Amino acid sequence: MVQGAASSVATGRRQYAVGSPPAGAKRRNADSHETATTSASEDRYRGLLEAAPDAMVVVNQISEIVLLNLQAERQFGYRRDELLGQPVTNIIPDGFAERLVADGLRSPEVALAQQIGTGIELAARRKDGSSFPIEIMLSPLHSAEGLLVTAAIRDISGRKAAEETLLDTVKELNRSNAELEQFAYVASHDLQEPLRMVASYVQLLSRRYQGKLDADADDFISFAVDGANRMQRLIQDLLLYSRVTTSAQELVETSSEQALEQALVNLTGAIETTGAKVTHDSLPTVLADELQLIQLFQNLVGNAIKYRNAGVPRVHVSASKNGGGKWMFAVKDNGIGIDPQYFDRIFGMFQRLHKRDEFTGTGIGLAICKKIVERHGGSISVESNPGQGSTFRFDLMRSGIRS
Amino acid sequence: MISAARGLRDIRVLLIEDNPGDVRLTEEAFRAAEAHVSLHAVVDGVEAMDYLKQSGAFALAPRPDVILLDLNLPRMSGSEVLAKVKQDESLKAIPVVVLTTSVAETDIFRCYELHANCYVSKPVQLEAFENVVKSISDFWVKTAKLPRTAHVR
Repeated sequence: MVQGAASSVATGRRQYAVGSPPAGAKRRNADSHETATTSASEDRYRGLLEAAPDAMVVVNQISEIVLLNLQAERQFGYRRDELLGQPVTNIIPDGFAERLVADGLRSPEVALAQQIGTGIELAARRKDGSSFPIEIMLSPLHSAEGLLVTAAIRDISGRKAAEETLLDTVKELNRSNAELEQFAYVASHDLQEPLRMVASYVQLLSRRYQGKLDADADDFISFAVDGANRMQRLIQDLLLYSRVTTSAQELVETSSEQALEQALVNLTGAIETTGAKVTHDSLPTVLADELQLIQLFQNLVGNAIKYRNAGVPRVHVSASKNGGGKWMFAVKDNGIGIDPQYFDRIFGMFQRLHKRDEFTGTGIGLAICKKIVERHGGSISVESNPGQGSTFRFDLMRSGIRS
Repeated sequence: MISAARGLRDIRVLLIEDNPGDVRLTEEAFRAAEAHVSLHAVVDGVEAMDYLKQSGAFALAPRPDVILLDLNLPRMSGSEVLAKVKQDESLKAIPVVVLTTSVAETDIFRCYELHANCYVSKPVQLEAFENVVKSISDFWVKTAKLPRTAHVR
């Protein structure tokens, strides 16, 4: 196969002599344009070499360079006559050059594998001593003088630089994300202390002096109590949100059915008050952080009950296999539904669609759901017709399958 | 006479807490719990050790029956105070109740490792806080028998 691809090249004796190399000076005439003694097939081969976008260097069995193209001259900063007949170790590191020859000559199969493969990355040396990253692909070349090795050498400085920039960017992004998490946690944690004082003392004021001052004082105190309470809920929710990352546990095999059942226990109050009917199919074992899965079900089922229509709230949880080793879960309700224009917005932080006196809440529940699902490598979405209920869908990895 | 032993005087509680708002809140909560305690507050770990060792300005300070200890204190932290008290032959019999906002597992474990007598986290809500102080009072003031004098070996 390889022979077919590279084809046998009849080469000029002087050019490809294997054995003691003539001195560089004597080779000055050995130029590819000197065609008198070269065959037509060698011309074709040289034409191919020159047309190649990469530096091409042909090496004989004792590691001498016997042929190269213009790209090679440019890349390594040598004139052609300075390289011909010289050891290939002048331009690529010691050790590798020997391997290059050995590998190239080992067998057509191995060589073929290298041809097809992604190549080998290493550093090359220019004439001025500077080095640059290259990728080498080898192929055997059958000539009249025996096996030679053709090395296609690509300067990958640009690609390397881009890879490094990308890595740096990812690192920077991770660092700034971690910092943000830390900030959210510390800020909300430290804010809680002074707020506890404000909230406790306005509550004491309200308890002891309600109706003992005047109507204005009662109003003012009650606004202060209400503000402090809301601030406390916001901070607690913010802490809960940041803990999705800071208190994350490893993803392990978890029964989603048990997680749902625990979530329903936690929602007992809301379920009994509203008379909600929550049903579910048999649910699978998934790869999850159990506490977070409980939280996820609790938020979604809790919302389904909270945003209810007149009549008995009905919620159904189901799961079906989808492609890619995942389970698609659906939490379907018969509640008030959501206007499609808000489908994206509802998963944002502190996003609320209702006036305070219609529905209470900080608007962080679905943001927490989104963060939990994404941490599990999935995504969450909603479908809804206003007035006819909503279905929230999210996917989780099947157990026994790790990505 | 024996049964009256507790009635001789109020239970002395030393509250080690740097936030005056928390000190007052704790006083109010003890009052609401109708506990017979005499509460004395010091503002950091250094002052707490001076008080307990009756040094300097605290030469006449009475020995507390129970210590309520916050962890986040200036100069000398709560866990340092705890370690010192529990390593001190004359002080280690005094029950130490850690009362802090921290719910960190590491803090809880560390405190028990240092022989805290119990660890209670301070709830954010006023009513919950009052309930916690009432529980502390019900157990440490009204239920538990406390060592009333130091027996130096």
